[in-house]
Amino acid sequence: MFKKEPIKNGKLWIIFGILFVLSVPWYLPTGSYDPIILGIPYWAWIILLVSIAFSATITYAIKNLWVTDEDFEEEVENNE
Amino acid sequence: MSEELAFGGWSGILIMAIYGLIMLTIGFVTYLRNKNARDTNKNYYLGGRGLGVMVLFFTFYATQYSGNTIIGYAPQGYRIGFEWLQSITFMILVIVGYLLFAPRLFNLSRKHNFITPADWLDYRFKSKGITILGSFLMLYGLGNYILEQLIAVGQGVSGLTGNAVPYELVVVFFIFIMLTYSWLGGMKSVAYTDTMQGIALLFGVFVLLIGSVLYFGGLPSSTDYMIAFDSDKIGVPSTDGLIGWFSMLTLVCIGAAIYPHAIQRVFSAKNEQTLKNSLIGMSWMPFVTTGVVLLIGIIGINAFPGLDTMESEQLVGMMANVVASENALFYWAMILLFGGIIAAIISTADSALLTFSSITSRDIYGRYINKDAEEKKQIKVGKITGVVAVFLLLLIAWNPPGTLFEIFVLKFEVLIQVAPAFILGLYWKGLHTPSVFTGMLLGTITAATMVFTDFVPLGIAAGLWGLLINTLICVFGSIIFKKSVKYEGEETKEAVGF
Repeated sequence: MFKKEPIKNGKLWIIFGILFVLSVPWYLPTGSYDPIILGIPYWAWIILLVSIAFSATITYAIKNLWVTDEDFEEEVENNE
Repeated sequence: MSEELAFGGWSGILIMAIYGLIMLTIGFVTYLRNKNARDTNKNYYLGGRGLGVMVLFFTFYATQYSGNTIIGYAPQGYRIGFEWLQSITFMILVIVGYLLFAPRLFNLSRKHNFITPADWLDYRFKSKGITILGSFLMLYGLGNYILEQLIAVGQGVSGLTGNAVPYELVVVFFIFIMLTYSWLGGMKSVAYTDTMQGIALLFGVFVLLIGSVLYFGGLPSSTDYMIAFDSDKIGVPSTDGLIGWFSMLTLVCIGAAIYPHAIQRVFSAKNEQTLKNSLIGMSWMPFVTTGVVLLIGIIGINAFPGLDTMESEQLVGMMANVVASENALFYWAMILLFGGIIAAIISTADSALLTFSSITSRDIYGRYINKDAEEKKQIKVGKITGVVAVFLLLLIAWNPPGTLFEIFVLKFEVLIQVAPAFILGLYWKGLHTPSVFTGMLLGTITAATMVFTDFVPLGIAAGLWGLLINTLICVFGSIIFKKSVKYEGEETKEAVGF
């Protein structure tokens, strides 16, 4: 059915796992907020960067790791 | 939202009437262009599987983001500060949730002509129990989801009418419009109106942000206030906050992706490229939607300090009142904002209602009550049950019961319990059907009991505890009984597995 399928790409899910763990600031000192840049505390910038990395990884995965087999496409088109 | 709006009254009613007429016109034009929209389930419930990238993107958007994204999320940002950054991440994670099942389910839906999510359950498990229980859980979750929208639209409308006319009248006006365009063109009408409603929501979010920055000062002044008086809202959250954050990410990642009306949008895509492009767009929308709403909530901390939980629920109305009183341009912009919020609520309600109708007509009526019913008759039954459901839910919204109100709050907790059947079913040939049914049932009972008793161990959401029990039963049941598993046929065998 697929030439490439996101669920089967182990590296992708390892990256998602790492980003998931980094997307919650458990690894930073509780209550800290300095330095503040443009009114946003440093840790919020880190979370924003992780979120951007998440969206970029999703974009890459959808574009490059989700490819349906031509035979399947043909079969579906014939059905329709 | 029950804050009295300075711009409520006839100008608000005028904008609501214009929004309503635009929705009706879009629905009518869609109907004229697709007169066969009501002939088959595929045409009515999936737009003939012909939604292009722009319309599919906006119907995904309007379904995932509601009016509650503004009126509910800004106060949450006000109450917990930068910790509400999680609203950006969990909305991104919804797309990760789609990647777990959408590629394969989309292909299977085209090959086997699935219309509703329960079609997949029926095809995969060939179990009456799983199909009926799955359908019931989806109907229950969708019913409460629609109820939530009806309550929200009532609050929004009552603010904008400013008591110039009874707000119930305007709510019925919007429901009439929603039902009319849904009946005329089905999914295509809903998706095209979603495009207008999604744009209205985005416009509203940005107008409120600009107004807030101009009249209350930007982030730095809010940050200075938090450092001086409210440092909990600016510092890295405590352990409890972090556990709640992880819990929320997991719950929304799986729960929102498995929304039945979201799955039907996956089925409605014109082709794979269309679906892929729409999902890529969706993965970036949290930054310009929940991210902007978070900024509004944080600006509110400095603008209206010291509000308690109930008062903070009216934050958006309070901010809009101040912004609207500055000049005529912002006066009308705030009316458009609240009109956009109402449009966004309607866009979420219409999607949920169409899926509700499809499950009752195809999965309950067409599959078990009248197996020989023609598709046109199934669609008719779906329309009638949809109308009956909306008016029953409206009665509950206007006359909330004094006790047992929790049964109307369960939404994510029950919807998420169909996830193991959906996702594990796609990839694991040896999944044991009775274990899937047992897991789904016990997971639902666990989650519901925890909600009713307000029991939240470790601060982790009840829906996730239910999902954990559900998944463990599925996995261990399938391992223990693996020798007795018989594939339900060659087709199913081909469809699943790595």
